[in-house]
Amino acid sequence: MASSSSFFTFSSQTTLHSHLHRNTFLTKTQFPVPTKSSESNFFGLRLSPSTSRSPLSPCSFKSSIFAKVNKGQSAPDFTLKDQNGKPVSLKKYKGKPVVVYFYPADETPGCTKQACAFRDSYEKFKKAGAEVIGISGDDSASHKAFASKYKLPYTLLSDEGNRVRKDWGVPGDLFGALPGRQTYVLDKNGVVQLIYNNQFQPEKHIDETLKFLKAA
Amino acid sequence: MAVSFQTKYPLRPITNVSRTNRPSLLHVRVTCSATTTTTTKTQPIREKKLVVEKRFVSPPLSNDPTLKSTWTHRLWVAAGCTTLVASLAKSVIGGVGSHLWLEPALAGYAGYVLADLGSGVYHWAIDNYGDESTPLVGAQIEAFQGHHKWPWTITRRQFANNLHALARVITFTVLPLDLAFNDPVVHGFVSTFAFCIMFSQQFHAWAHGTKSKLPPLVVALQDMGVLVSRKQHGEHHRAPYNNNYCIVSGAWNKVLDESKAFEILEMVLFFKLGVRPRSWSEPNSEWTEETDLSSSQA
Repeated sequence: MASSSSFFTFSSQTTLHSHLHRNTFLTKTQFPVPTKSSESNFFGLRLSPSTSRSPLSPCSFKSSIFAKVNKGQSAPDFTLKDQNGKPVSLKKYKGKPVVVYFYPADETPGCTKQACAFRDSYEKFKKAGAEVIGISGDDSASHKAFASKYKLPYTLLSDEGNRVRKDWGVPGDLFGALPGRQTYVLDKNGVVQLIYNNQFQPEKHIDETLKFLKAA
Repeated sequence: MAVSFQTKYPLRPITNVSRTNRPSLLHVRVTCSATTTTTTKTQPIREKKLVVEKRFVSPPLSNDPTLKSTWTHRLWVAAGCTTLVASLAKSVIGGVGSHLWLEPALAGYAGYVLADLGSGVYHWAIDNYGDESTPLVGAQIEAFQGHHKWPWTITRRQFANNLHALARVITFTVLPLDLAFNDPVVHGFVSTFAFCIMFSQQFHAWAHGTKSKLPPLVVALQDMGVLVSRKQHGEHHRAPYNNNYCIVSGAWNKVLDESKAFEILEMVLFFKLGVRPRSWSEPNSEWTEETDLSSSQA
């Protein structure tokens, strides 16, 4: 049950304080506070600016402290090996939108559904001019087998040691017991325009990112 | 390159098959294993061995003695029932004595509800983890494997044969509780919880029955949702065998499946312990229903 209607705004720390004073009372009365803390929730968390006043809950305040890559920021570059063992850098994709999706592991049910959903909609992403990259902590051999088995047409990168996951601040689930499932949409300048998190409804990542790309 | 044959008789036979060696079908599984040995010369010799494992894989015929009840089975069922009756008696008598009826009744209802949940959790664990060599529960895992392969067999088992394993567990669990506690509310819970667990195999067998052959009362209870329905349990017996695990009333199945509770547990166990549940992989032939034989056996 993704609540795509749940919106939280993340702003930089310098503006956070002023927002908090203005909006805290609104937050408590008008918007439900998520039961989980700073970490992601299972039910779909879309992080994007809203045009109206943006309430901040104590939980989203905590989240902005821990999230390292936020909307509106330039995504930090990385170089990781793809499924063929070739090093691939994020900066290679500058000039076109990129969908970077972090997923827990190859050959798990949710990740397989998600990968196949990206595969099935890949033409739509290409039509929107976007590239798709999947990242997990599995090694290149695992990615190669996974990509081959499900005929995935896009790049899978091996984030061994989960270094990039940590650098980007992808939140875990169940108090860190599960690696989080979070997708970033970067514009052609490499700036993050959308962050979507949903652990147990993996296909929604495709719906949300395509919807965003089409509207952009 | 030296090649040697090594024949193994392993595998303890599947529970459903008669132990008096009477396979009507013999499957031979051949695997290759490679070992490297060094000799006085500098280059190691690589030996390949063909390992031939014979496995008795025929389903039981309807007159198979392993489906019949023995006196040992009956004794265990009697013992289990005795402990249940004792617990129920303590609840009723204690309740009357204390002028309590609502609390023990509610506790009894809670026992019925939680037994369904417990049956699902246990079933999920046995279906997904371990194998015949797992301590304590290896034989049960093997039995569940056999059940997935030949689900109709459970309808051929005689009553005590079907229930005796659970009856033994109930006897060892409930007897100490009967001796230790007198509280009517505690026994209200214990008696119904234990009854539902012990008889879950009978509810399970009925869920594999055909409507025309089941007692009308059983059909009515299934249709009302008091007992797990044939349709709902049938959903469990489809690949990848990852849903509808509860077998008392089945009331928890919708909640557990829609909330993905077992999927969450499986993911946590995978990331924390590195164990993959069987339901994540394409079911292998050892755990898949043998449909070729089903029409002749049913």
